[in-house]
Amino acid sequence: MIQLDAITKSFLLGKESIHVLNGISLQIEQGEFVAIMGPSGSGKSTLMNIIGCLDKPTEGEYYLGGENVSHYNDKELARVRNQSIGFVFQQFHLLPRLTALKNVELPMIYAGISKKERQARAEEALMKVGLSDRMDHLPNALSGGQKQRVAIARSIVNKPKLILADEPTGALDSKTSMDIMEQFRELNGEGVTVIVVTHESEVAEYANRTIMVRDGVIQSPAAMDRGRLT
Amino acid sequence: MSFMENLSMSLSSLKAHKMRSILTMLGIIIGVGAVIIVVAIGQGGEAMLKSQITGPGNTIEMFYQPSDEEVRSNPNAFQQAPFKQEDIRALEQIPEIKRVVATSTKISSARFQKDTADVSTTGINQAYLQLNQLKVAKGRGFSSADFLGGRRVGLISNKLQEKLFKEENPVGKVIMIANQPIEIIGVLEKPTGLLAFGSMEVFLPFQTWRNIYGSSDFTQVTLQASSAEQLQTAGKKAARLLNNLHNTEKSYQVINMEEIAQGVGQVTKIMTLIIGSIAGISLFVGGIGVMNIMLVSVTERTREIGIRMALGATRGQVLTQFLIESMTLTLIGGVLGIVLGWGTSTIVSFFAGWPSLVSWQVVLSGVLFSMVIGVLFGLLPANKAAKLDPIDSLRYE
Repeated sequence: MIQLDAITKSFLLGKESIHVLNGISLQIEQGEFVAIMGPSGSGKSTLMNIIGCLDKPTEGEYYLGGENVSHYNDKELARVRNQSIGFVFQQFHLLPRLTALKNVELPMIYAGISKKERQARAEEALMKVGLSDRMDHLPNALSGGQKQRVAIARSIVNKPKLILADEPTGALDSKTSMDIMEQFRELNGEGVTVIVVTHESEVAEYANRTIMVRDGVIQSPAAMDRGRLT
Repeated sequence: MSFMENLSMSLSSLKAHKMRSILTMLGIIIGVGAVIIVVAIGQGGEAMLKSQITGPGNTIEMFYQPSDEEVRSNPNAFQQAPFKQEDIRALEQIPEIKRVVATSTKISSARFQKDTADVSTTGINQAYLQLNQLKVAKGRGFSSADFLGGRRVGLISNKLQEKLFKEENPVGKVIMIANQPIEIIGVLEKPTGLLAFGSMEVFLPFQTWRNIYGSSDFTQVTLQASSAEQLQTAGKKAARLLNNLHNTEKSYQVINMEEIAQGVGQVTKIMTLIIGSIAGISLFVGGIGVMNIMLVSVTERTREIGIRMALGATRGQVLTQFLIESMTLTLIGGVLGIVLGWGTSTIVSFFAGWPSLVSWQVVLSGVLFSMVIGVLFGLLPANKAAKLDPIDSLRYE
């Protein structure tokens, strides 16, 4: 499903080149539930951006569902994001002037789906996350948990193979966080690959596998243990 | 993503900032409105001037301009009335000519009781009434019997009435013109219009005029052609005929009103262009206002742009979204501006007394032009939006 080969990413800061990712190789199979953890500044956000096709690696190859997307241009990357990836963000990132239903319809607008089908599919997705009675509410009128459910509905509406959640529970209380993670587990049970970036170990526990990132490299499980000891 | 989708999206985002959208539109409304007003009033004024110069109903004036030799052989050539009765009859035979209006004018004194005034007395033939309406305010107009019998009756202008009669009703009174009695049968209406100014005039049937002055020649001849296309041919034929009859080379000529009208049209066109381009500047300033607001809007909505890009919007789609938004803004402004311009120019022309000409071409180009302004001044902000980096935009607070 996902294969990263020796991915590096460096930024130019003035004249100095800063290496954020130093040769990351990684493989995630279809249907896995993976947590990516790491302290801030470890490069996990950059890694997530590359996996999410929001950013391109400086070097290395990235295969998503068999496609080598590392050299795609902006337009092709937009298509990949639209068709193959569902995003869930910490700050929900709903458009404040659109109703829940219209927010869920957004990815389908860019996929060129007809209005009628859009509405039917958006309703279906909202029903799935248990918000069929909140469809016409603006984000302002929804609680944090409800907002995140709308965001999850939006992420699954184009039926992507991969859901990428960046600190999805960061702005929620622990009870709601568990509900949201249950939602992800349910989706994972249906065969969708889920990657959650988090720094909370309770959240990571929902995953089948945890990947630790530190200083731009992936730490082996053994190193993880050593890291915990020191 | 369809155009309609973009349109409804831009309408809802314009609605979200109503006050700002309206104020931004105001620049376009005023700009388009000003251009429409200037063009409409300019074209209306031009049409009115032209119609006043060419006169009603395909007419052309003849005049007599003796050559140097004629003046040498006949020093009185200038003083004589150049058109004879036979000339008029000959002119009436030309097939392209529908009517020959012949008049003769002399200045003489008019007297009523003790008041006198210098008046221009014009003898007219019956054809004159077909072409020039002598609108009578009091009393009656001429009848056929007045012309045929050479009755001693006359119509006086409004100004002459004021001079000789003050408040008194002059109908039925007798005034002395060149020491001959004339009964006043009616008073003409006060002239209206831009080029009309009141003068002291008396109109008489030509027979009567001839009896008073003892001359049967005409000083002025106006030809009416059967149609506008035949006007020039008729004029040329008439001039050639009279030059043959009088054995002159080109002393008889026609005034080409068409050329004069075109000259006037040229002047008003240039005026319209100058004032129109000043109005165009306000449209340009309005466009800059749109650009300014769109730039602010792009900055404010950086996060929205980031979200849209994350969800799969291409740079082209973001560009289109903002272009259509600024175009919607200027289009609505443009349509409101047309309504404003139309209304204002209708009111102005109503009070100025000339036709307002808002042609469909002006309306259409107003609509198209405001759309072009939207695209033109929307390009910079839309391009800024499309070039945003999705990662940075998502993080933008």
